[in-house]
Amino acid sequence: MQWVQIAITIVFWVAVATLAVGLIRRIRLWRNGRDAPVDWGGLLAIPRRYLVDIHHVVARDSYIANTHMAVAGGALAALALVAINYGLALYQPWLDWLTLAAAAVMLVGSYFIWARRRNPPARLSKGPWSRLPFTLAGFAAGVIGLMLVTLVPPSATTTMLALPLLLLLIAGSAELALGIGAGGPMKHAVAGLLHLGFHPRKQRFTGRSVDLRPLDLDAGDFGVGKPADFRWNQLLSFDACVQCGKCEAACPAFAAGQPLNPKKLIQDLVVGLASGSDAKFAGSPYPGIPIGEHAGAPDKAVVPFLIEPATLWSCTTCRACVEECPMLIEHVDAIIDLRRNLTLTTGELPGTASETLANLRETGTTGGHDVAARQHWAVDLDVKQAQPGTLVDVLLVVGEGAFDTRYQRTLRALVKSLKAAKIDFAVLGDSEFDTGDTARRLGDEATFQMLAQRNIANFARFQFRRIVTPDPHVLNSLKNDYPALGGHFAVLHHSTLLAQLAKSGQLQLGPTPDRRAVTYHDPCYLGRYNGEIDAPRDLLKAIGIEVREMERSGLRGRCCGGGGGAPLTDIPGRQRIPDIRIGDAKATGAAIVAVGCPQCTAMLEGVVGERPEVLDIAELVAQSLPVPA
Amino acid sequence: MASYPHLMAPITLNKLTLRNRVVSTAHAEVYAEPGGLPGDRYIRYYEEKAKGGVGLAICGGSSPVSIDSPQGWWKSVNLSNDRIIDPLARLSETMHRHGAKIMIQATHMGRRNAFHGENWPHLMTPSGIREPVHRGNAKIIEIEEIKRIIKDFGVAARRVKAAGMDGIEISAAHQHLIDQFWSPRSNFRTDEWGGSLENRMRFGREVLSEVREAVGPDFVVGLRMCGDEFHEDGLDHETLKEIAHAMGETRLVDYISVVGSGADTHNTLANCMPPMALPPEPFVHLAAGIKSVVDIPVMHAQSIRDAGQAERLLAAGMIDLVGMTRAQIADPYMVEKIRDGREDEIKQCVGANYCIDRQYNGLDVLCVQNAATSREATMPHIITKSTGPRRKVVVVGGGPGGLEAARVARSRGHDVVLFERGDAVGGQINLAAKAPQREQMAGIVRWFDMETRRLGVDRRMGREATPEMILGEQPDIVVLATGGSSNMGQVPGWGFEEGLSVSSWDILSGKAEPGKNVLVYDVMSAHTGSGTADFLATRGSTVEIVTPDVKVADDVGGTTFPIFYRRLYALDVVMTPNYWLDRVYREGNKLIAVIRNEYTEGLEERSVDQVVIENGILPNDGLYWDLKERSVNFGQTDNATLFAAEPQPALSEDLSGDKFLLYRVGDCISQHNIHGAIYDALRLCKDF
Repeated sequence: MQWVQIAITIVFWVAVATLAVGLIRRIRLWRNGRDAPVDWGGLLAIPRRYLVDIHHVVARDSYIANTHMAVAGGALAALALVAINYGLALYQPWLDWLTLAAAAVMLVGSYFIWARRRNPPARLSKGPWSRLPFTLAGFAAGVIGLMLVTLVPPSATTTMLALPLLLLLIAGSAELALGIGAGGPMKHAVAGLLHLGFHPRKQRFTGRSVDLRPLDLDAGDFGVGKPADFRWNQLLSFDACVQCGKCEAACPAFAAGQPLNPKKLIQDLVVGLASGSDAKFAGSPYPGIPIGEHAGAPDKAVVPFLIEPATLWSCTTCRACVEECPMLIEHVDAIIDLRRNLTLTTGELPGTASETLANLRETGTTGGHDVAARQHWAVDLDVKQAQPGTLVDVLLVVGEGAFDTRYQRTLRALVKSLKAAKIDFAVLGDSEFDTGDTARRLGDEATFQMLAQRNIANFARFQFRRIVTPDPHVLNSLKNDYPALGGHFAVLHHSTLLAQLAKSGQLQLGPTPDRRAVTYHDPCYLGRYNGEIDAPRDLLKAIGIEVREMERSGLRGRCCGGGGGAPLTDIPGRQRIPDIRIGDAKATGAAIVAVGCPQCTAMLEGVVGERPEVLDIAELVAQSLPVPA
Repeated sequence: MASYPHLMAPITLNKLTLRNRVVSTAHAEVYAEPGGLPGDRYIRYYEEKAKGGVGLAICGGSSPVSIDSPQGWWKSVNLSNDRIIDPLARLSETMHRHGAKIMIQATHMGRRNAFHGENWPHLMTPSGIREPVHRGNAKIIEIEEIKRIIKDFGVAARRVKAAGMDGIEISAAHQHLIDQFWSPRSNFRTDEWGGSLENRMRFGREVLSEVREAVGPDFVVGLRMCGDEFHEDGLDHETLKEIAHAMGETRLVDYISVVGSGADTHNTLANCMPPMALPPEPFVHLAAGIKSVVDIPVMHAQSIRDAGQAERLLAAGMIDLVGMTRAQIADPYMVEKIRDGREDEIKQCVGANYCIDRQYNGLDVLCVQNAATSREATMPHIITKSTGPRRKVVVVGGGPGGLEAARVARSRGHDVVLFERGDAVGGQINLAAKAPQREQMAGIVRWFDMETRRLGVDRRMGREATPEMILGEQPDIVVLATGGSSNMGQVPGWGFEEGLSVSSWDILSGKAEPGKNVLVYDVMSAHTGSGTADFLATRGSTVEIVTPDVKVADDVGGTTFPIFYRRLYALDVVMTPNYWLDRVYREGNKLIAVIRNEYTEGLEERSVDQVVIENGILPNDGLYWDLKERSVNFGQTDNATLFAAEPQPALSEDLSGDKFLLYRVGDCISQHNIHGAIYDALRLCKDF
């Protein structure tokens, strides 16, 4: 059937051409974005990033992992074989057999996609994505059929079948080839692979990467006001989205009915980069905001034409979306970029956010306190104040929680343990200023940088080996955000230090006298941001507590609602995020939720009605110190 | 969570930094050991407040610096001897261990005392004027004595410093020797120690410079003074502002503590520790007035009872330090609970003044609602869980004794059922709170109500418990706290059965309507009788209160009977002490009450519309006799172990199956009082 073979060759090259044209059009759209360094070496890393980093995320859902492996693997193999055998017009029957086998695998995979889509979870987008099992199956079936047609002796039957099979192949190829140019579902394959090569955070492939890019304010960089203000590789990353909705399912704001859906946000940015309206979006809307009323273009302001400010202010920056995204998209970076522009150019922030920023500028505290009052909790504890010229082992940076009488309990407990372990530590007297974390998350880069510079200069007055803090936000700021501004410190969370001390025996701990069941809530800025999920658990184990894990824990823990300035912007929803989290805790039957963060403490304790008691790890540890004779 | 930024803010006096603004101001504890030495009880009492978070405690109210200022009859600390140094040092060390600071008040009381007892000294005062409250006959102080006492202040201050205390407070309040010199009411001298204000201030000034000389510049020296004596011939607020300004300008003192009211008559004395009848913080304006003329911190106590109130006064800038002294007698952990957002768990002082009223009788200070206070060696403020078997405890009766029993047993980790036949807990306190100006008694119940709910006591309200109901719970221990009922049958002539008289409870509960012309017969002379008379008179009745005691309200303490008198006199209630009520009979539409003079046996008759009798209670002991024989211990409480604060021996008995222990607390044994019922329950149940 030579004409069939030639036809396949023609279809192949037409498809390649179509894809190339589409890709060039898409690249033009990406190039509307701002310059970013092009790391060509990243292209070489694509296979590894695909097979290791993406697989690590996708493998959490083995059904779709296997299905995708079958479909994508089968398709890639079949395409490669077709490219060799038909693109180069070799027409080798043994290659046909291999092609047939690959397509068969793809066909089986397509079946499972179809099966999943019969009762799809709410997070999955419908629309064009619903036709995918059929077009992919069509492609696979077309290839299988055509291979058989070329392999069996020609007959009237094969002649009769060849034409419809060819049409199937063309239809299937159209899905693949037109995807990138027409913005169809299969766009993800090309954009996704390129995104892996040119990822805006290549550091995440070698470790955790959560630092935010400092803005060059003097150069007039005020974040992202319109899609074209994103870096080109960020625009590329949005195109990689497969609308699987894993982010939506993980997003605490979405669950609470606040007007945020990370998936929709990324799709809106796709709309913005390619021009158009969100009318065709076939997934869950932002709760409370109807679809079809927003539109965007590369040079049109994102807010409010494409995205409402409330959507951006609902984000707790917990990174649950990022953690779940199989395409490794950085949603939170996009939100921060957009917030930066809103805050720096309009100053319009909802709730008490503006007041808080003013407090930070004017008092160096989020609550507008007298900075000297920060150490009041320690007046009766005989805690050293750091003195220039005197070396201490640990500089204890206590954070904003020190102004809160509830949280002072945690600090007092921590001091008790540090003393028991004979740690040489000191607090900053009247010169502990806020790290600026809240300002930064709210987009106020100017205030953040001002505070960071002030702190870095202040820290330079003192000599210490390491900084210890019970506040993961302080930890994250100092450890991840300050280096870009010239501040390099060894920073530990208090749970990390206490766990080390308990392990080395420097801190003697007995079994906890409180026999109630305990669950542990991972603070996002400790777990997801900084990877510390073991130390708190090790500590609890050391005092004889077996943690009853919540449904979402560790790196995939659910946010308390307290990050990113969300309690300040206070966007209304159907319910409150901490209520949901307390629900998780209650489901374990635990009577105590152990925490390791002042924000989490405040948010979870703010839940009214019957709930487990909220205790910081430091409090539980202090309870287990041996009673002095 | 509410926050108290001003209350919890540290403050520095001289070189001394306090962790917060809450002070336990100086009061007479009546705990010192013979010789006026702080012993174990004294130190533990203050230690508990230090553990509970107090910023500064000032101990030793009116501790004398001289041997001729008596201290024995109310067991004060004695600063007139070097033997005081070691025990005070133990106190200092203990307080510092918990992060609190400790000072002591030092004084010479002059005429404010009783001459009899101990060394039988001749009391001294600027002009030899007798002090009414203590019947303090005194001589005119001579210049040699003035100079010697000034020196005594200095020597005592050195002892205080040597003991490692954080400061010394000089008392010029409550009409001690310094303010006896200040006051035109007691100083009529014509020499350099009297006459002009400048001369009258001379003694105080010299005391302060002697003390400062003795302790050096860095040691805290405070001055406690009156803000207004409320006597026509006494010191008024403007003069005291002048004095405060002058004292501040000496630069010898680091703070001034202000109290409202003089204290040398029964009526003014009642203001000093304002009882519940007075409004909250009645005299803070006096402190604020003085703050307006000095540039050093001002401290003030007097009915500052809750955190919100304290925070408000500090935030308004009226004062710099809040004395919350009775508040911490009621709950030494008050500060910690404020700090930790557990305000609802604070046992709040209601101003019942059981503490101070005992002190004025020379008895140790106890709290009406907290039996652990000053018994820290044996009675816990914080009940810890039992390590023994988990038991089923049934408590019958929701008065103070039953509530305390339920609270303590539950805190020990047991399953507790509380039966109360009424619809609300509180027992007799609910009646006590019905009398005018006694409403705050209900605060005692409020705390127990909230605590028993919080702790998860299984409260069965509105049904009278029967032996079947109690045994149906399969209890290991039954505690009866069934209280009592009005004891009206004691004298048949009162005609209670015939309806010729009603009880005080009938009036207070509203069961009996107040009559027009009423005779109240008060056998007990405690709060109930006078309260009932007040209740009736306030509602328009014409009232005569008759008692066989030597005076009406004879068994009501020194800071509370004046409140009754203020009201009863104002309402034209006729007070007739020294008469017994023999019988009541009906004549026409009137009742004739026959009363008999205790001393002449002479009979008198009163024609009235209603006779109301207060004769205490008879125990409700029916359940006890029903259950006694069935219990393992036959209802017996072992007094030897009870009084020694040790566990009841019967607790080690086998209580399997239907076997149970039976105990009683409070009035269902015999009439005690609120404190008595609570103490019974605490000492019994703390070892369950």
